[in-house]
Amino acid sequence: MLIITRRPGERIVLGDDIVVTVMEISGQTARIGIAAPKELPVYREEIWEAVKAENQAAAAVDPSALPPVPPATPAE
Amino acid sequence: MSTTIDSTRFGRIEVAPDSAIAFPHGLTGLDSRRFTLVARGADDAFVWLHSLEDPALALPLADPRRFFAGFAFEPADGELERLGIDRGALAAEDAAVYVTVRASERLEDFTANLRAPIAIVGGAGYQLLNQAPAAELRAPLFAELAAAERAA
Repeated sequence: MLIITRRPGERIVLGDDIVVTVMEISGQTARIGIAAPKELPVYREEIWEAVKAENQAAAAVDPSALPPVPPATPAE
Repeated sequence: MSTTIDSTRFGRIEVAPDSAIAFPHGLTGLDSRRFTLVARGADDAFVWLHSLEDPALALPLADPRRFFAGFAFEPADGELERLGIDRGALAAEDAAVYVTVRASERLEDFTANLRAPIAIVGGAGYQLLNQAPAAELRAPLFAELAAAERAA
């Protein structure tokens, strides 16, 4: 992995059209600005991983596992 | 020309050309960009998002409003802009919002992903992050059953 030290306000350029800016550093938190082409998805890693896991779990469902209709909900 | 898929789950399925749904950005973790919706029965609570490229790839989807009375879908303006989706188109009558379903051995452990619903707008599909505070990643699909289980 390439490791680069940056100060707030400094940038990293990836290829021709992606710019990552360190906006602010406060304690354990860094605010990062990302300028990228509109069509390039940008996700926080933990959300990306979570959605990936749910998609893959759904893709593993066998049709016989699903109930034909939702069970009747208990009366209030 | 309709296309045919030899689904590993459902056997041979005819897909009309206008039933194809392009996912220009795919679905995170899955390797396909062209799908169709397969409904097994008119009143079925679930539909299947079936790949047109991989006969073994299909996901059960549910209409979140059928299962979650307070469901709210709040995609971020920035994401809609990035994907070129008009907020008005998302609210249009022919637009549909679904959530993926995670099955389990027990009904009370079934969940739906309210955090990343799938919107189908004008023949294209997008999985969008939902910023609504109550949008859980694993919301119990049969909440009353789950509550009854906890109370027991």
